[in-house]
Amino acid sequence: MPRYDAVVIGAGNGGLAAACRMALAGKKTLLVERHNLPGGCASSFRRGRFEFETALHELCEWGTPENSGNCRNTVVEEYGVPLKGCIVPENFRVITTASDGKTHIDAILPCGVEAFTDRMEELVPGCRKSVEDFFEIGKECLDAGNYSLSVNGKTDNKYMMEHFPNFLKVGSYSVNKVFKALKMPALAQDIMNTYWGYLAIDADRLSYLQYSNMVNLYVRHGAWIPDKTSHELTTGMLERFRAMGGDAWFDCTAEQILFDDNKAVCGVQTNRGVIETKHVLCNGNPSMVYAAMVPPEVIPERMIKLANARKHCARMFVVYLGLDKSAEELGLTDYSIFMPDSADSVKEYASGKTLETNNNMVSVCYNTVNKNFSPPGTCVLSLTTLYMEDAWADVEEEDYVATKNRIARRMIDKFEKTLGVEITPYIEEIEVATPWTMCRFVNTPQGSAYGYELNDWDSMMARMRMMGTENQVKGLKFVGAASIRGDGYNSAIFSGSTMAKLTLADMKKEEEG
Amino acid sequence: MANVKIGLFGKLDMLKFKNITKVREKHIQASPTTPLPKVLPTNEKAKQHHPEKQEVVIADIRQNGSDAKTIVLKTPDGSRLALFRAGQYVSVLVPIGGTVTTRSYSLCSSPALARQGEYHITVKRDDAGFVSPYIQDHWQIGQKVTVSGPEGHLYFEPLRDAKKVVALAGGSGITPFMGMAYALRDGLEDFDLTILYGSRTADGIVYQEQLDEVCKACSKVHVVHVLSDEEKDGYEHGFITAELIRKYSGGGEYSIFMCGPQAMYNFLDGEIAKLGLRRKFVRRELFGTIKDPWNQPGYPSDARGKSFRLKVLQYGKEYETEASADESLLVAVERAGISAPSRCRSGECGWCRSRLVSGEVYIPEKTDGRRAADIDYNYIHPCSTFPLSDVVIEVYGSNLT
Repeated sequence: MPRYDAVVIGAGNGGLAAACRMALAGKKTLLVERHNLPGGCASSFRRGRFEFETALHELCEWGTPENSGNCRNTVVEEYGVPLKGCIVPENFRVITTASDGKTHIDAILPCGVEAFTDRMEELVPGCRKSVEDFFEIGKECLDAGNYSLSVNGKTDNKYMMEHFPNFLKVGSYSVNKVFKALKMPALAQDIMNTYWGYLAIDADRLSYLQYSNMVNLYVRHGAWIPDKTSHELTTGMLERFRAMGGDAWFDCTAEQILFDDNKAVCGVQTNRGVIETKHVLCNGNPSMVYAAMVPPEVIPERMIKLANARKHCARMFVVYLGLDKSAEELGLTDYSIFMPDSADSVKEYASGKTLETNNNMVSVCYNTVNKNFSPPGTCVLSLTTLYMEDAWADVEEEDYVATKNRIARRMIDKFEKTLGVEITPYIEEIEVATPWTMCRFVNTPQGSAYGYELNDWDSMMARMRMMGTENQVKGLKFVGAASIRGDGYNSAIFSGSTMAKLTLADMKKEEEG
Repeated sequence: MANVKIGLFGKLDMLKFKNITKVREKHIQASPTTPLPKVLPTNEKAKQHHPEKQEVVIADIRQNGSDAKTIVLKTPDGSRLALFRAGQYVSVLVPIGGTVTTRSYSLCSSPALARQGEYHITVKRDDAGFVSPYIQDHWQIGQKVTVSGPEGHLYFEPLRDAKKVVALAGGSGITPFMGMAYALRDGLEDFDLTILYGSRTADGIVYQEQLDEVCKACSKVHVVHVLSDEEKDGYEHGFITAELIRKYSGGGEYSIFMCGPQAMYNFLDGEIAKLGLRRKFVRRELFGTIKDPWNQPGYPSDARGKSFRLKVLQYGKEYETEASADESLLVAVERAGISAPSRCRSGECGWCRSRLVSGEVYIPEKTDGRRAADIDYNYIHPCSTFPLSDVVIEVYGSNLT
């Protein structure tokens, strides 16, 4: 029976980051993955002469060597993954109707605090002060987070009060509450709220800290994409893991996590045999792992309660289009365009619950940033939406293709109408992924991609502050979107790296007896 | 410096922040201890639609033309099989002696039959082949067979294809179009299908009767037989040419779907070029395993006929075997009795994606379906990769076995 210091289950961003951290520390680590390639959601696939990006719109917290974000620091500087990519020059374009139900919004927001603020003032005269406050408080919040990390969460209250008072004051509130307190004009709030879909929780319940961090990281470091899709990032991490001494088994399904008499992890049973280990870092969703892979007697009641209290987040639906005209020929100039019907996120969240009412959408045209993303004379466009409830449970297999095509058609129509650009005649390749597709390839609950909802009571900050009480099964830690910081590549990589650090600390304690 | 207050006093805001863990704990404690569901409806539906494998039994074997047999596969208990889009294939697991290999066969029955747990595949005998004579001579009614879920992309896609499809079929390449014809007959699809079907002689036509029946029953299906070795009234003579395609395309916009032997594809490449169609209107079924790498561009001619050492790493174990320069690495691995995943065996689907640890290999451009980053990181699809030196590869296990 092979023996490893640690076994990582699942090679998503979180699993890969955890595996790299363990290998970097010299621990004998095995990464097992049920699929035949790394990445989980973060992958790519080929159709004809196109390679499609499965999931990534823009990597947050990345930047450049001169202005490197924490995620880039981890992956490139610490793990040594060689990557080539492109900076996304604009944060986003948003085309929607303001929450007043009347005003048409069509705005392009650039990267960089000054440029972003100037553009906001142009769009909504008089909002400058509130936007400046947003970025100033945002910086303070990022600094507070970095301070907290630097002292491993053991923050000094007095120091916090002195240096990060605003962080403490906004820390418990929602986005909408804080924007109101900043006296941000309603139209400016609408535009500033655009990114809410990346966290899939409406701005009445979305934690301000979480949102502010994300927007600040995007605006301050710029967004970034790898040249050769997410597959370049995840295969890059995998190969670094191997180079640092790690082993990886693909087409290998973890079936059971094994426990000893002290209710501590002692191994993993896979379809390729049993592996002995005392430490498991799991990229699976806790609800599913507890239900099917862990004997009930080792799970503390509180963990079951926690899982029951939570809601799965963001069931994915993506239309992948390979077009036989270039972005220039089609007149597509924007990288990502957010096209909700309304800027009112509460309304949009509600309509996102059913197949019939969901009409939210984000488009990404990769070629506008990476000219070589597809062969000359072609471009790749993806249209993404997400469901706030388990709407795809009610679709019958007989109706599956017709249903997904009907929704894809609706999204293509909306894109064409909103942009005034015809794309239908140029569709050379099309693939439509639904929550069922997500279940097939990554087996997340209900085809969700964002882990658990970052609810008002279950935000990143609350999760992170309670990190110590979340790992109550001895030897088992969770990484990925369902972990401490929620969804997003950077957050999954953060959770993987952080949980591996905690595992290393546990190992050290064990060694010291 | 910004000084934000949300509550009446900034101090209260701070206190509220201090309490976020308490609030969270309250939510957790208020939640029930109900056991977590082991089964989620959406995930179950996805499993039904995209099963990793399906177990079936041979219910019937029907002679079809002079050298093809149609094999009727059914679930033992009549439970449904995964629905498919007409034109898709399944990968069939074929154990022969000490080796386990796979072949992809188009589903040539109506998708409607899948609901009753029935798939049909047609196996044409190729005496020089390894698998088809074995299946024809050894498979028997009542025998258990393992197949994959439906795979492949040669199907009518209304969001992409012209409403008129001109199908070019050669020999047993008729099978995906049989599936499409039945789907049209059963009202499951809606487009106009004209099949130009190449056979040697009228006697050798696989599926003639069934095609006649479908054409009678469904006005959306038309068949034109093209005989290469026989001149006969009511039949076109010669090969499927640009001229013939033009003649039956009806003048408007049309999509070409092709399925047949490699020689047919190579010939048709030249013919279709004459039509000046955009790529989106030309779709081809899997190319199949290339059997003559030495005839492909860029092949180092001195490699032909050579034999090399192949080391296979798999789940912590190592295996040593021989690999011929004339055969794909997948075949070498299977010959050695080592489990290996595969589906399309044409370089396309990526199911056999494996890591090239060391050694020189040749990958024909025509069947190089790898992801861009995989090329950088030395990942290969062994089904379309030929050794040029001693080679070490890491291969994962099949999930069909």
